[in-house]
Amino acid sequence: MNVKSFMECERKSLVNMKRYQLPNIFKKIGVGIIILSLVVLIVNKFSIENIDLKLTAKYGILVGLLLISISKEKIEDELVTSLRMQSYTFAFIAGVIITLLTNPLFNYISNLISEKQAEHFEGVGDWEILWILLSVQVFYFEFLKRMNK
Amino acid sequence: MKNRLKIERAILELTQDELANKIGVSRQTISSIEKNRYVPSTVLSLKLSHLFGKPVNEIFILEESEMPS
Repeated sequence: MNVKSFMECERKSLVNMKRYQLPNIFKKIGVGIIILSLVVLIVNKFSIENIDLKLTAKYGILVGLLLISISKEKIEDELVTSLRMQSYTFAFIAGVIITLLTNPLFNYISNLISEKQAEHFEGVGDWEILWILLSVQVFYFEFLKRMNK
Repeated sequence: MKNRLKIERAILELTQDELANKIGVSRQTISSIEKNRYVPSTVLSLKLSHLFGKPVNEIFILEESEMPS
């Protein structure tokens, strides 16, 4: 495959990506779901703690972030598509690095400080991994948009 | 790659916003192209070429080092 046909394939895949995007209004719905979930988490923390409600609110944050992540911009042009691809790549790399390093390292150091025996590295949960990936993507995409103003 | 987008836009007395509306992109995209931060697709380059009435290679110019040997 020569360079030109490779670039054409890449462009086609970017165009295909737009098919899986939601209208811009879902961005606001996503923000609303996150705010509601955070309020539920805070209220739940200071009242009788309901584990089911806490779990629902935590997954609500993920749903909200996903909606923001896959919602179109008001003008969804090729620059935005390119920035979106960059942000997904960055989020993937950052997510893997953070998951591999941060939490086990933090656990190990906290075990050393508390003078307990560091038995083994504790893994990161599914919610944390998804939260890291989605929030890094959303914030890095916003950062790239501001950088290109 | 250099480009003459800002000059061509000035010749037609268009603002970034007006040019963006004419070719269906955001003002941000026009600004990024003018500042050489973003290289547009073939389709967008052809739209600009059509609008300015000039060939693409008169709007977007390869640097000496980018020329094929």
